[in-house]
Amino acid sequence: MRTRKGYTLRSLGKESILVAEGLDAVDFSRMISMNESAAFLWKAVESKDFDAETLAHLLQEEYDITPEVAQKDVAALLDSWKEANIIED
Amino acid sequence: MKKVYKVAGHKFSIVMPDDYPAWNEMQNYEPFLTDDADGCIFAAELIENMPDTSSKQLVVIGNKHVDMPRSELYEWNGKWLMEVAPTLEAPIRLCMITDKSFSKVQFRVLGCIRFSVTTMLMMMFSFSTASMDTLLIHASVTMNGGKGYLFLGKSGTGKSTHSQLWIKNIEGCELLNDDNPALRVCDDGVVRVYGTPWSGKTPCYRNLDVPVGAIVDLHQAKKNVIKQQSLPEAYASIYVSFSGYRFIKNMADGYHATNAKIVSSVPCYSLDCLPNPEAAFLCYDTVTGKR
Repeated sequence: MRTRKGYTLRSLGKESILVAEGLDAVDFSRMISMNESAAFLWKAVESKDFDAETLAHLLQEEYDITPEVAQKDVAALLDSWKEANIIED
Repeated sequence: MKKVYKVAGHKFSIVMPDDYPAWNEMQNYEPFLTDDADGCIFAAELIENMPDTSSKQLVVIGNKHVDMPRSELYEWNGKWLMEVAPTLEAPIRLCMITDKSFSKVQFRVLGCIRFSVTTMLMMMFSFSTASMDTLLIHASVTMNGGKGYLFLGKSGTGKSTHSQLWIKNIEGCELLNDDNPALRVCDDGVVRVYGTPWSGKTPCYRNLDVPVGAIVDLHQAKKNVIKQQSLPEAYASIYVSFSGYRFIKNMADGYHATNAKIVSSVPCYSLDCLPNPEAAFLCYDTVTGKR
Protein backbone atom coordinates (compact mmCIF):
# COMPACT_ATOMS: atom_id res chain seq x y z
CA MET A 1 0.00 0.00 0.00
CA ARG A 2 0.93 3.66 -0.27
CA THR A 3 0.09 6.93 1.39
CA ARG A 4 -2.31 9.04 -0.63
CA LYS A 5 -0.95 12.05 -2.47
CA GLY A 6 -1.75 15.63 -1.57
CA TYR A 7 -1.27 15.47 2.20
CA THR A 8 1.27 17.40 4.24
CA LEU A 9 2.27 16.50 7.78
CA ARG A 10 2.41 19.65 9.88
CA SER A 11 3.86 19.77 13.37
CA LEU A 12 1.98 21.47 16.13
CA GLY A 13 3.98 21.47 19.34
CA LYS A 14 4.44 17.82 20.28
CA GLU A 15 1.59 16.72 18.05
CA SER A 16 1.30 16.48 14.30
CA ILE A 17 -1.59 17.08 12.00
CA LEU A 18 -2.01 15.72 8.50
CA VAL A 19 -3.67 18.27 6.24
CA ALA A 20 -4.88 18.09 2.66
CA GLU A 21 -2.90 20.80 0.90
CA GLY A 22 -2.20 19.27 -2.48
CA LEU A 23 -4.25 19.43 -5.63
CA ASP A 24 -4.45 15.61 -5.51
CA ALA A 25 -6.06 15.42 -2.10
CA VAL A 26 -9.37 13.61 -2.02
CA ASP A 27 -11.05 15.44 0.82
CA PHE A 28 -9.82 18.93 1.67
CA SER A 29 -11.84 19.31 4.85
CA ARG A 30 -10.42 16.23 6.50
CA MET A 31 -7.62 16.63 8.99
CA ILE A 32 -6.04 13.85 10.95
CA SER A 33 -4.14 14.49 14.13
CA MET A 34 -1.24 12.11 14.75
CA ASN A 35 0.72 11.29 17.85
CA GLU A 36 4.50 11.11 17.78
CA SER A 37 4.79 7.48 16.70
CA ALA A 38 2.10 7.73 14.00
CA ALA A 39 3.78 10.84 12.61
CA PHE A 40 7.14 9.06 12.66
CA LEU A 41 5.72 6.16 10.65
CA TRP A 42 3.92 8.43 8.19
CA LYS A 43 7.12 10.34 7.47
CA ALA A 44 9.08 7.11 7.07
CA VAL A 45 6.76 5.58 4.46
CA GLU A 46 5.36 8.67 2.73
CA SER A 47 5.22 8.15 -1.06
CA LYS A 48 6.75 4.66 -0.76
CA ASP A 49 5.30 1.19 -1.00
CA PHE A 50 4.87 -0.36 2.38
CA ASP A 51 2.93 -2.99 4.29
CA ALA A 52 2.12 -3.79 7.90
CA GLU A 53 5.43 -5.56 8.30
CA THR A 54 7.38 -2.49 7.15
CA LEU A 55 5.63 -0.39 9.76
CA ALA A 56 6.03 -2.95 12.57
CA HIS A 57 9.72 -3.22 11.82
CA LEU A 58 10.18 0.57 11.89
CA LEU A 59 8.25 0.84 15.13
CA GLN A 60 10.29 -1.88 16.80
CA GLU A 61 13.58 -0.25 15.83
CA GLU A 62 12.54 3.21 16.94
CA TYR A 63 10.79 2.40 20.21
CA ASP A 64 12.46 -0.77 21.42
CA ILE A 65 9.25 -2.81 21.78
CA THR A 66 8.47 -6.49 21.22
CA PRO A 67 7.33 -7.69 17.78
CA GLU A 68 3.92 -8.59 19.26
CA VAL A 69 3.31 -5.09 20.61
CA ALA A 70 4.54 -3.52 17.37
CA GLN A 71 2.21 -5.67 15.24
CA LYS A 72 -0.76 -4.90 17.44
CA ASP A 73 -0.09 -1.14 17.37
CA VAL A 74 0.42 -1.17 13.62
CA ALA A 75 -2.81 -3.06 13.00
CA ALA A 76 -4.76 -0.46 14.98
CA LEU A 77 -2.98 2.38 13.22
CA LEU A 78 -3.62 0.95 9.76
CA ASP A 79 -7.30 0.58 10.59
CA SER A 80 -7.50 4.26 11.47
CA TRP A 81 -5.55 5.29 8.36
CA LYS A 82 -7.87 3.19 6.17
CA GLU A 83 -10.91 4.67 7.83
CA ALA A 84 -9.52 8.18 7.26
CA ASN A 85 -8.91 7.25 3.62
CA ILE A 86 -5.32 8.51 3.68
CA ILE A 87 -3.75 5.31 2.30
CA GLU A 88 -4.50 3.28 -0.80
CA ASP A 89 -3.73 -0.24 -1.94
CA MET B 1 -5.34 58.12 -9.45
CA LYS B 2 -3.34 56.13 -6.97
CA LYS B 3 -4.41 55.46 -3.41
CA VAL B 4 -2.53 53.68 -0.67
CA TYR B 5 -4.23 51.81 2.14
CA LYS B 6 -2.84 50.29 5.31
CA VAL B 7 -4.59 47.23 6.74
CA ALA B 8 -3.22 45.29 9.72
CA GLY B 9 0.01 47.25 9.34
CA HIS B 10 0.43 46.22 5.68
CA LYS B 11 0.30 48.86 2.97
CA PHE B 12 -0.94 48.29 -0.56
CA SER B 13 -1.65 50.58 -3.49
CA ILE B 14 -4.29 50.66 -6.19
CA VAL B 15 -4.25 52.64 -9.43
CA MET B 16 -7.43 53.30 -11.41
CA PRO B 17 -8.48 56.21 -13.68
CA ASP B 18 -9.73 59.29 -11.75
CA ASP B 19 -13.23 58.97 -13.13
CA TYR B 20 -13.48 55.20 -12.67
CA PRO B 21 -16.81 54.53 -10.90
CA ALA B 22 -15.28 52.03 -8.46
CA TRP B 23 -13.86 54.93 -6.43
CA ASN B 24 -17.43 55.94 -5.53
CA GLU B 25 -18.06 52.54 -3.97
CA MET B 26 -14.94 52.42 -1.85
CA GLN B 27 -16.03 54.41 1.22
CA ASN B 28 -15.23 51.35 3.31
CA TYR B 29 -11.53 51.86 2.46
CA GLU B 30 -11.43 55.51 3.57
CA PRO B 31 -10.50 54.81 7.22
CA PHE B 32 -7.47 52.88 5.96
CA LEU B 33 -6.06 55.57 3.65
CA THR B 34 -2.45 56.55 4.15
CA ASP B 35 -0.14 59.03 2.40
CA ASP B 36 2.94 56.94 2.83
CA ALA B 37 3.48 54.56 -0.09
CA ASP B 38 6.78 53.16 1.17
CA GLY B 39 7.02 49.40 1.54
CA CYS B 40 3.74 48.36 -0.08
CA ILE B 41 3.23 44.59 0.00
CA PHE B 42 1.49 44.73 -3.37
CA ALA B 43 0.56 47.20 -6.09
CA ALA B 44 -2.68 46.80 -8.04
CA GLU B 45 -3.42 48.43 -11.36
CA LEU B 46 -6.63 48.43 -13.37
CA ILE B 47 -6.13 47.60 -17.04
CA GLU B 48 -8.50 48.21 -19.93
CA ASN B 49 -7.55 45.23 -22.02
CA MET B 50 -6.19 41.86 -21.11
CA PRO B 51 -3.19 40.51 -22.99
CA ASP B 52 -3.77 37.41 -25.08
CA THR B 53 -3.86 34.66 -22.47
CA SER B 54 -5.12 31.87 -24.72
CA SER B 55 -2.05 29.75 -23.86
CA LYS B 56 -3.10 29.67 -20.21
CA GLN B 57 -2.97 26.34 -18.38
CA LEU B 58 -5.70 25.54 -15.86
CA VAL B 59 -4.36 24.76 -12.38
CA VAL B 60 -7.51 24.53 -10.31
CA ILE B 61 -11.12 25.63 -10.14
CA GLY B 62 -12.06 26.66 -6.64
CA ASN B 63 -15.73 26.64 -5.82
CA LYS B 64 -17.66 25.46 -2.83
CA HIS B 65 -21.26 26.56 -2.81
CA VAL B 66 -23.79 27.78 -5.35
CA ASP B 67 -23.98 31.24 -3.80
CA MET B 68 -20.21 31.55 -3.31
CA PRO B 69 -17.76 33.08 -5.77
CA ARG B 70 -16.06 30.77 -8.23
CA SER B 71 -12.39 31.28 -9.01
CA GLU B 72 -10.31 29.69 -11.72
CA LEU B 73 -6.56 29.69 -11.38
CA TYR B 74 -4.34 29.41 -14.42
CA GLU B 75 -0.64 29.56 -15.04
CA TRP B 76 0.24 31.89 -17.90
CA ASN B 77 3.56 33.28 -19.04
CA GLY B 78 5.25 32.45 -15.71
CA LYS B 79 2.52 34.25 -13.81
CA TRP B 80 -0.76 33.42 -12.12
CA LEU B 81 -3.95 34.28 -13.95
CA MET B 82 -7.10 34.30 -11.84
CA GLU B 83 -10.61 34.58 -13.19
CA VAL B 84 -13.42 35.11 -10.73
CA ALA B 85 -17.22 34.99 -10.95
CA PRO B 86 -19.56 36.19 -8.18
CA THR B 87 -21.37 32.84 -7.99
CA LEU B 88 -20.90 29.27 -9.18
CA GLU B 89 -23.01 29.76 -12.30
CA ALA B 90 -22.23 33.40 -13.11
CA PRO B 91 -19.90 34.55 -15.90
CA ILE B 92 -16.36 35.74 -15.14
CA ARG B 93 -16.36 39.33 -13.87
CA LEU B 94 -12.78 39.79 -12.70
CA CYS B 95 -9.47 38.83 -14.31
CA MET B 96 -6.17 39.23 -12.48
CA ILE B 97 -2.61 38.65 -13.59
CA THR B 98 -0.09 38.54 -10.81
CA ASP B 99 3.55 37.63 -10.41
CA LYS B 100 4.12 34.47 -8.41
CA SER B 101 5.05 36.36 -5.28
CA PHE B 102 1.77 38.30 -5.37
CA SER B 103 3.50 41.68 -5.22
CA LYS B 104 2.12 43.16 -8.43
CA VAL B 105 -1.30 42.64 -9.97
CA GLN B 106 -3.00 43.90 -13.09
CA PHE B 107 -6.73 43.44 -13.05
CA ARG B 108 -9.58 43.89 -15.46
CA VAL B 109 -13.17 44.36 -14.35
CA LEU B 110 -15.92 43.02 -16.62
CA GLY B 111 -18.80 43.87 -14.28
CA CYS B 112 -19.93 43.79 -10.64
CA ILE B 113 -17.45 46.57 -9.91
CA ARG B 114 -17.65 46.56 -6.12
CA PHE B 115 -17.46 42.77 -5.92
CA SER B 116 -14.55 42.67 -8.35
CA VAL B 117 -12.39 45.34 -6.71
CA THR B 118 -13.05 43.94 -3.24
CA THR B 119 -12.35 40.36 -4.26
CA MET B 120 -9.13 41.38 -5.99
CA LEU B 121 -7.91 43.31 -2.95
CA MET B 122 -8.90 40.61 -0.45
CA MET B 123 -7.24 37.84 -2.46
CA MET B 124 -4.07 39.87 -2.97
CA PHE B 125 -3.98 40.89 0.69
CA SER B 126 -4.44 37.32 1.89
CA PHE B 127 -1.90 35.81 -0.52
CA SER B 128 0.78 38.49 -0.19
CA THR B 129 0.69 38.39 3.63
CA ALA B 130 0.68 34.58 3.88
CA SER B 131 4.31 34.53 5.01
CA MET B 132 4.00 37.62 7.20
CA ASP B 133 2.30 36.12 10.25
CA THR B 134 -1.01 37.51 9.03
CA LEU B 135 -4.31 35.75 8.42
CA LEU B 136 -7.41 37.28 6.87
CA ILE B 137 -10.05 35.19 8.59
CA HIS B 138 -13.79 34.68 8.28
CA ALA B 139 -15.11 35.79 11.67
CA SER B 140 -17.14 38.30 13.61
CA VAL B 141 -15.16 40.19 16.26
CA THR B 142 -16.45 41.90 19.37
CA MET B 143 -14.24 43.97 21.65
CA ASN B 144 -14.55 44.03 25.42
CA GLY B 145 -12.14 45.26 28.07
CA GLY B 146 -9.51 46.14 25.49
CA LYS B 147 -9.48 42.69 23.93
CA GLY B 148 -10.98 41.18 20.81
CA TYR B 149 -13.08 38.02 20.80
CA LEU B 150 -13.40 36.21 17.48
CA PHE B 151 -16.43 34.13 16.64
CA LEU B 152 -15.86 31.56 13.91
CA GLY B 153 -18.29 29.22 12.22
CA LYS B 154 -19.66 28.12 8.91
CA SER B 155 -21.77 30.54 6.92
CA GLY B 156 -25.17 30.81 8.57
CA THR B 157 -24.05 29.53 11.97
CA GLY B 158 -24.74 32.82 13.71
CA LYS B 159 -21.38 34.57 14.13
CA SER B 160 -22.92 38.03 13.69
CA THR B 161 -25.85 37.04 15.87
CA HIS B 162 -23.52 35.97 18.66
CA SER B 163 -21.62 39.28 18.42
CA GLN B 164 -24.94 41.13 18.66
CA LEU B 165 -25.89 39.06 21.73
CA TRP B 166 -22.69 40.20 23.45
CA ILE B 167 -23.24 43.83 22.43
CA LYS B 168 -26.88 43.92 23.60
CA ASN B 169 -26.45 42.01 26.83
CA ILE B 170 -22.95 42.66 28.10
CA GLU B 171 -21.73 46.06 29.09
CA GLY B 172 -18.73 47.54 27.32
CA CYS B 173 -18.93 45.53 24.09
CA GLU B 174 -18.36 46.97 20.64
CA LEU B 175 -18.17 45.40 17.19
CA LEU B 176 -14.73 45.55 15.55
CA ASN B 177 -15.55 43.72 12.30
CA ASP B 178 -18.38 41.42 11.26
CA ASP B 179 -16.91 39.26 8.49
CA ASN B 180 -13.21 39.41 7.60
CA PRO B 181 -10.88 40.76 10.27
CA ALA B 182 -7.13 40.14 10.08
CA LEU B 183 -5.16 38.29 12.73
CA ARG B 184 -1.50 39.13 13.07
CA VAL B 185 1.20 37.69 15.28
CA CYS B 186 3.18 40.81 16.14
CA ASP B 187 6.92 41.05 16.73
CA ASP B 188 6.41 40.87 20.50
CA GLY B 189 4.56 37.55 20.00
CA VAL B 190 1.18 39.06 20.87
CA VAL B 191 -1.66 38.02 18.56
CA ARG B 192 -3.73 41.07 17.60
CA VAL B 193 -6.95 41.36 15.64
CA TYR B 194 -7.39 44.22 13.17
CA GLY B 195 -10.46 45.80 11.66
CA THR B 196 -10.41 45.82 7.85
CA PRO B 197 -12.37 47.35 4.95
CA TRP B 198 -14.06 43.97 4.57
CA SER B 199 -16.99 43.38 6.89
CA GLY B 200 -19.60 41.51 4.85
CA LYS B 201 -23.10 42.97 5.00
CA THR B 202 -22.39 45.00 8.15
CA PRO B 203 -20.91 48.45 7.46
CA CYS B 204 -18.27 48.29 10.20
CA TYR B 205 -14.93 49.40 8.76
CA ARG B 206 -12.85 50.30 11.78
CA ASN B 207 -9.16 51.00 11.57
CA LEU B 208 -8.52 49.67 15.06
CA ASP B 209 -6.69 46.74 16.58
CA VAL B 210 -6.65 44.99 19.94
CA PRO B 211 -4.95 41.92 21.40
CA VAL B 212 -6.99 38.76 20.94
CA GLY B 213 -8.71 37.55 24.13
CA ALA B 214 -10.04 34.30 22.70
CA ILE B 215 -11.22 32.57 19.55
CA VAL B 216 -14.55 30.76 19.73
CA ASP B 217 -15.81 28.31 17.10
CA LEU B 218 -19.62 28.35 17.09
CA HIS B 219 -21.98 25.48 16.34
CA GLN B 220 -25.75 25.61 16.41
CA ALA B 221 -27.17 23.30 19.08
CA LYS B 222 -30.15 22.63 21.29
CA LYS B 223 -28.32 23.78 24.41
CA ASN B 224 -25.40 25.98 25.34
CA VAL B 225 -22.13 24.15 26.06
CA ILE B 226 -18.61 25.54 25.89
CA LYS B 227 -15.28 23.76 26.07
CA GLN B 228 -11.66 24.70 25.51
CA GLN B 229 -10.13 23.15 22.38
CA SER B 230 -6.98 21.07 22.12
CA LEU B 231 -4.25 22.40 19.82
CA PRO B 232 -5.28 20.27 16.82
CA GLU B 233 -8.95 21.18 17.32
CA ALA B 234 -8.15 24.89 17.46
CA TYR B 235 -5.85 24.57 14.45
CA ALA B 236 -8.61 22.86 12.48
CA SER B 237 -11.20 25.50 13.43
CA ILE B 238 -8.94 28.26 12.14
CA TYR B 239 -7.82 26.24 9.11
CA VAL B 240 -11.35 26.00 7.72
CA SER B 241 -12.04 29.69 8.43
CA PHE B 242 -9.74 31.16 5.80
CA SER B 243 -9.00 30.32 2.22
CA GLY B 244 -5.92 30.35 0.09
CA TYR B 245 -4.07 28.35 -2.54
CA ARG B 246 -2.63 25.77 -0.18
CA PHE B 247 -0.97 23.76 -2.94
CA ILE B 248 1.42 26.70 -3.37
CA LYS B 249 4.00 25.54 -0.89
CA ASN B 250 5.25 28.95 0.31
CA MET B 251 1.72 30.05 0.94
CA ALA B 252 0.74 26.88 2.81
CA ASP B 253 3.94 27.05 4.88
CA GLY B 254 3.17 30.66 5.78
CA TYR B 255 -0.42 29.95 6.74
CA HIS B 256 0.67 26.96 8.81
CA ALA B 257 3.30 28.97 10.71
CA THR B 258 0.78 31.70 11.52
CA ASN B 259 -1.96 29.28 12.52
CA ALA B 260 0.42 27.29 14.75
CA LYS B 261 1.59 30.48 16.51
CA ILE B 262 -1.98 31.66 17.04
CA VAL B 263 -3.27 28.41 18.58
CA SER B 264 -0.26 28.09 20.84
CA SER B 265 -0.78 31.52 22.40
CA VAL B 266 -4.51 32.28 22.20
CA PRO B 267 -7.11 30.26 24.15
CA CYS B 268 -9.55 28.69 21.70
CA TYR B 269 -12.99 27.33 22.47
CA SER B 270 -15.82 25.42 20.89
CA LEU B 271 -19.30 26.73 21.72
CA ASP B 272 -22.48 24.79 21.06
CA CYS B 273 -25.13 27.45 21.27
CA LEU B 274 -28.64 28.72 20.88
CA PRO B 275 -29.19 32.29 19.67
CA ASN B 276 -30.06 33.52 23.17
CA PRO B 277 -28.51 35.83 25.81
CA GLU B 278 -27.54 32.82 27.96
CA ALA B 279 -25.15 31.69 25.20
CA ALA B 280 -23.47 35.10 25.31
CA PHE B 281 -23.23 35.05 29.11
CA LEU B 282 -21.80 31.52 29.17
CA CYS B 283 -19.28 32.40 26.47
CA TYR B 284 -18.29 35.74 28.01
CA ASP B 285 -17.93 34.32 31.54
CA THR B 286 -15.79 31.43 30.29
CA VAL B 287 -13.47 33.20 27.87
CA THR B 288 -12.86 36.18 30.14
CA GLY B 289 -12.30 33.93 33.14
CA LYS B 290 -15.21 35.43 35.10
CA ARG B 291 -16.40 31.96 35.99
